[in-house]
Amino acid sequence: MENILECQNLVKFYPKCLALNSVNLTVPKGKIVGLLGPNGSGKSTLIKLANDLIQPTSGKILIAGMEPGIETKKIVSYLPERTYLNDWMTVNDMIGFFSDFYQDFNKGKAYDMLARLGVNPSLRLKTMSKGTKEKVQLILVMSREAQLYLLDEPIGGVDPAARDYILDTIIGNYNPEATVIISTHLIADVEKILDEVIFINQGNIVLVSTVDDIRENENKSVDALFREVFKC
Amino acid sequence: MLRKLLKYEIKATSRIFLPMYALLIVFALLNKFFMAVNSELLRIPRAIAATVFVFIIIGLCVVTLVVTIQRFNKSLLTDEGYLSFTLPVRIHSHIDSKMLVTLMWTILSFLVSMVSIFIMSIDKTTIWSLHRFVNELMRVLNKIGFNGYVLVLESILFVIIGILSVTLEIYAAITVGNMSSKHKLLAGVGAYLGFGVIQQIIMSIIMSTCEKSISQYFDSMIRAGELAQVQLAQTVLFGLIAYMVIMGVVFYFFTEWMLRKKLNLE
Repeated sequence: MENILECQNLVKFYPKCLALNSVNLTVPKGKIVGLLGPNGSGKSTLIKLANDLIQPTSGKILIAGMEPGIETKKIVSYLPERTYLNDWMTVNDMIGFFSDFYQDFNKGKAYDMLARLGVNPSLRLKTMSKGTKEKVQLILVMSREAQLYLLDEPIGGVDPAARDYILDTIIGNYNPEATVIISTHLIADVEKILDEVIFINQGNIVLVSTVDDIRENENKSVDALFREVFKC
Repeated sequence: MLRKLLKYEIKATSRIFLPMYALLIVFALLNKFFMAVNSELLRIPRAIAATVFVFIIIGLCVVTLVVTIQRFNKSLLTDEGYLSFTLPVRIHSHIDSKMLVTLMWTILSFLVSMVSIFIMSIDKTTIWSLHRFVNELMRVLNKIGFNGYVLVLESILFVIIGILSVTLEIYAAITVGNMSSKHKLLAGVGAYLGFGVIQQIIMSIIMSTCEKSISQYFDSMIRAGELAQVQLAQTVLFGLIAYMVIMGVVFYFFTEWMLRKKLNLE
């Protein structure tokens, strides 16, 4: 099977800190993968590298065989931990913006999800609460028919009810060829939708496994294993 | 993609500029009205309207500068950068769109200010003197001939390239300032001043090495006739344009490189 994401000896140095230490990793197509690790473990750095937002110090990161650039941005749908929406725009404006720039954006899907979550699309983003903004942002990102979704802390700021709906959307709405990588520390919440997990700590990949293997071999939930591996 | 970026850049900025233009025109008309009535009773409102008009024009200059800085900084270097830099768009297209829209508003602000002053002062005498001025200008241009038109073209080019070059210098300074983790604004101002010092040094090196030939050239030109002086102006303008083009190109590629290779959004 072809890999959607591949890291080869990927190293990222920040001034005074090693964020990724020679990471080798392959993520196949058509999986929902949890990128799990404590704060400052290198999760966001890895995701930023995949989005061409920062450059690797050495080594390579490939998306569908390509180095990050315009072509990969067309097929990667990214949800950063920050809210990046233009304050003065309405949700309708943002939907127009996304469908202008991303050919794979599905407007119908976006309006559908907005209606389900009760967000009025003619409201300005300035007037919305932080949680609502996060919902809008996630809807925009999930309304693309991308090949790789990179979701950095997608459910951190929303209420548990919306959390369930969002996770349902993630499994229900994406095409089976696509891969979703979810970085989070709310493991118990996402565990049920994951196919595979990657444990990362201090820039090193600690474990790559399928969720079924963890349950069978260790006889534990991912959450329990995580607590054990990263015990303080 | 540049077209789409331009569309959103204009959308983002027009909501600031268009109301200011409308306000300027309204106050021009108001001033015109007060001047036409010319009643003792309206002395105070007249003075207020005139003052506000001047303040709006000054405000327009300030706003143009602030928007130039703020649009670049906000949409590329703050949280919005996460969206801007993950659009399937080349980085230089972001710079292109922002710089062209700045150019557009600078020129428009100038034109609208001119129009508003024109509205305020229009009457028989002003139209007549404007008419005379244009006639005189055409007469001089026709007398000089082809070189005169080249000079006009060069002047227009000088203004456009000047605006772009200054804008790019500001972008480069903001980008450098952003590399500082704590005092971004201070570092940005410092970078801008630093660029100024570097340019001064370059200029003085050029001047000191070519001083003799430059002054000889000026002497010979000044002693020659009117036509040679037009040529002199042409050469000086050309030299300035060439200098600004070079600086602009340097700042452009420097900014692009920094954004592509060195940027790390928080």
